[in-house]
Amino acid sequence: MTIEERVADDVLLARAAKGDEEAFTLLYRRHQAALFRFALRMTGSAWAAEEIVQDIFMTLAREPRKYDAGRGALGAFLFGVARNRVMKHLERAPRDISLETDGEDTRIVSTVLQDSFTPAVWAEQRERVKQVRDAVLDLPSDFREAVVLCELEEMSYEEAAQAIGCPIGTIRSRLHRGKALLLAKLELLRDVPRRANAAR
Amino acid sequence: MTCEEFERVGWNAERDATVSAEERAAAFAHATHCPVCAAMEDSWLAAKMELRGLAAVTEGAETPARVEMRLRQEFRARHRSVRVRRGAMVLSWGLAGVAIIFSAITWVNWRNARHDLQVATSKNSQTSATEAGSGAQAPAISGDAGGSSEALIADSSGDFTPLPGSMFADSDSASIVRVRMQRGSLTALGLPVNEEQAGEWIQVDLLVTDDGLPQGVRLSP
Repeated sequence: MTIEERVADDVLLARAAKGDEEAFTLLYRRHQAALFRFALRMTGSAWAAEEIVQDIFMTLAREPRKYDAGRGALGAFLFGVARNRVMKHLERAPRDISLETDGEDTRIVSTVLQDSFTPAVWAEQRERVKQVRDAVLDLPSDFREAVVLCELEEMSYEEAAQAIGCPIGTIRSRLHRGKALLLAKLELLRDVPRRANAAR
Repeated sequence: MTCEEFERVGWNAERDATVSAEERAAAFAHATHCPVCAAMEDSWLAAKMELRGLAAVTEGAETPARVEMRLRQEFRARHRSVRVRRGAMVLSWGLAGVAIIFSAITWVNWRNARHDLQVATSKNSQTSATEAGSGAQAPAISGDAGGSSEALIADSSGDFTPLPGSMFADSDSASIVRVRMQRGSLTALGLPVNEEQAGEWIQVDLLVTDDGLPQGVRLSP
């Protein structure tokens, strides 16, 4: 018997805690993509993102009682766990992100880009995406997080502040600094210096 | 609006719910008059387009299927081991319960048997004392107390009832002494006797060791 899609996360988690594998799988399928994308955009490594997502759901399978429904939705809880794992990963290996650029990440970029472009345009586009990605990954983790959440995940300031657990003003200021740094990096990449105080 | 205020508000105006309509209008007006801020905003819009490109590239990214497989295996293994552990725990508690009940029943039975024996012994002692007062004698090991007796060479120690506290190990060095005595006298040897038949005369064989102590008794035909 399959579990209906509309069953609430809490119900699924309760079933999973009792050993219902189908409920656990459905929970995983509901949340894995968003968590993987966030981890991928933050770490720049498909391998690290895969490990992080696996770790999150291992924790959920092992200790489902860690989640308290009274404190928010399961998605937010999982996002919080993902954020902690990402930060730990960045602290542990802050500079290992560039090692994988020719690996799976490039494959993801290539798969999406090769559909509608000529080889030359595709190569140029791919190079541009790589530069932007490197610029994002080069941001300090707090600023990167704000940029990833607000610009790549397209969250509102309120949602981002809730996800990170900080005031909206902090998000605004981090995003502003992040944008300024990003602009400076992208302009440096293009050799077009525009404004001296952009990265201040 | 100054350039600093524009930098703070202008870039985020469209996404920031806390920015008022007046501030948005002021930022727009500033950008139309200040070429530096206008260029900055253009630059940001260009960067934003590139960020959109990056977002689009990773939009369809998903965890590889092998992760789901690994997680399901882990989940299955974990819950199987939990079930086994729970079963083992139930079984061990069950066994412990059975052991406790068995011990309790054994203890109660032992206590009842001991109590019955004490009651019988005390009653028979009273009877023996009464009989001793009226001239009856307890059987002597020598065989001359209860009437006729004869010593036989022990060739068999089968069907003897061991007396309390006796060691029935070395039957080869023991002798069998046949004694005639009243049934009530058996209480002196530590055996329970039916009080109603205490005065009845019986003939018994006593298994006596070299040190003269009786070790067992049997009714002789």
